[in-house]
Amino acid sequence: MASGEKGGQIDLGSLSSQQLSQVKKQLDEEVEHLTNSYGNLRGAQHQFRQCISSIASGVAESTKGKPLLVPLTPSLYVPGELSDTEHVIVDIGTGFYVEKTTQDAVKFYNGKIEELGKNIKDLENIVNGKTNNLRVVEEVLRQKVLASSQGPQGGAQAS
Amino acid sequence: MEQQKQIQALSDEYSGFQTELSTLVAARQKLESQQQENKSVQKEFSGLTDEANIYKLVGPVLLKQETSEAKSTVEGRLNYIETEIKRIEESIKGIQEKCENKKMEIIQIQSQMQQSTGQA
Repeated sequence: MASGEKGGQIDLGSLSSQQLSQVKKQLDEEVEHLTNSYGNLRGAQHQFRQCISSIASGVAESTKGKPLLVPLTPSLYVPGELSDTEHVIVDIGTGFYVEKTTQDAVKFYNGKIEELGKNIKDLENIVNGKTNNLRVVEEVLRQKVLASSQGPQGGAQAS
Repeated sequence: MEQQKQIQALSDEYSGFQTELSTLVAARQKLESQQQENKSVQKEFSGLTDEANIYKLVGPVLLKQETSEAKSTVEGRLNYIETEIKRIEESIKGIQEKCENKKMEIIQIQSQMQQSTGQA
């Protein structure tokens, strides 16, 4: 990470094309990794949203007394009935579950979504910065290659 | 030739340290994420009343737990994680130093080789 930023501060033109492609490779990897994390965060956020809509549609007063099928395994269901439309049990991480009222659960999930949203925004900025760095490095590298293909002397002058 | 062998041995050692270092860094990252998760759980606990029902997942079943017990469990975990992070951090430092030393040795031998070939 450090060398990528250093690359931006050092005159990129002073690096050899080999070094440049190394920097580019490193930046590529970083961008890929960060984009993956970005996708993961988005996925997590989506899951929390789904939890909220499940509470709204599945645990509402209107569901009370209606028969439903409870999955024991993905292929085995037993008939059931929702006995409590007020409380849900929420996974808060590390194997702990807390009984919450539906309102509190929604609040909890909204908090999580907001937290993730902040992280996503931060990450977005970082990814954009890195992509910009990458673009600059690519541009310089391209010029280098062009200059060196016009003859070794031209390449030496350009650097 | 003698020096070549020496360099080979040194760079083998060096790459050994490098792999050790990367496993340590991965372990550190894992601890960090566990710390994050436990912290968010702790934060969640701190907002709960004493009558709140807390369950702990043990195997496939949820067991009810006392609030105080759950809180102390998480606190214990956080303490443990903190000491672990410190321990690993120290090992990382040690390995980094070793890496640096090996690098210096390699560079030294290389420059010696260059000098001797220059004279010859």
